[in-house]
Amino acid sequence: MASLTSSSVSFKCAVLPSSFNSKNHGLKSSVSFWRANQVKPRGLSISCAAKPETLEKVSSIVREQLAMTKDATVTGETKFSEIGADSLDTVEIVMKLEEEFGVTVEEENAQTITTIQEAADMIEKLQNK
Amino acid sequence: MGSTGGQKLSGLQKHVLNLYRGFLRAARTKPPEGRRQVELIVSEEFRRNSKQIDRKNFVYIEYLLRRGKKQLDQIKNSDIVSLSSMKVGGAENKDT
Repeated sequence: MASLTSSSVSFKCAVLPSSFNSKNHGLKSSVSFWRANQVKPRGLSISCAAKPETLEKVSSIVREQLAMTKDATVTGETKFSEIGADSLDTVEIVMKLEEEFGVTVEEENAQTITTIQEAADMIEKLQNK
Repeated sequence: MGSTGGQKLSGLQKHVLNLYRGFLRAARTKPPEGRRQVELIVSEEFRRNSKQIDRKNFVYIEYLLRRGKKQLDQIKNSDIVSLSSMKVGGAENKDT
């Protein structure tokens, strides 16, 4: 807290002319600085994109589960609904993924997945836990 | 029930999907042969009902949900190793 106030004071000095504005501004910058510090470690551990191998394995499981033909393209951006999966299929896919990767997907998470990339990201997140 | 592509699921749909998940989890605990059998019958039942039942027929869907939950509790019993179904004049009978 002490370092926070001192930094905002020094900032205020730098932009002296409009003292009212700079006071506000100094406060704002100190707040965002605080927040950035808090978010950083969390962002590093969670929001990393899934490895290509995981994505590959996920798409092959999805292909198998939906009995898709070889020439049908499946990428990370492919939505389950686009390739003809209904909500029951999605449940089956998630269950299959759970088994293959040895993870347990919570119910709430299982229903928010719409693309293959999202599925792969979630699996890596669970594996790293 | 299983027609949504987007993720706007109703509460009832979530219940149905959770029940389906429950059955598939219970099936994992059975020996391979019985597991295949359980998965086959359960998925057939869910898919058939999802096509046949009007999605606004809440009373019937809720009845099926309650019935399904009871059947799930039975299947969870570790003495049960498999499931078989037979058709009797169109009506389906489930037994263990």
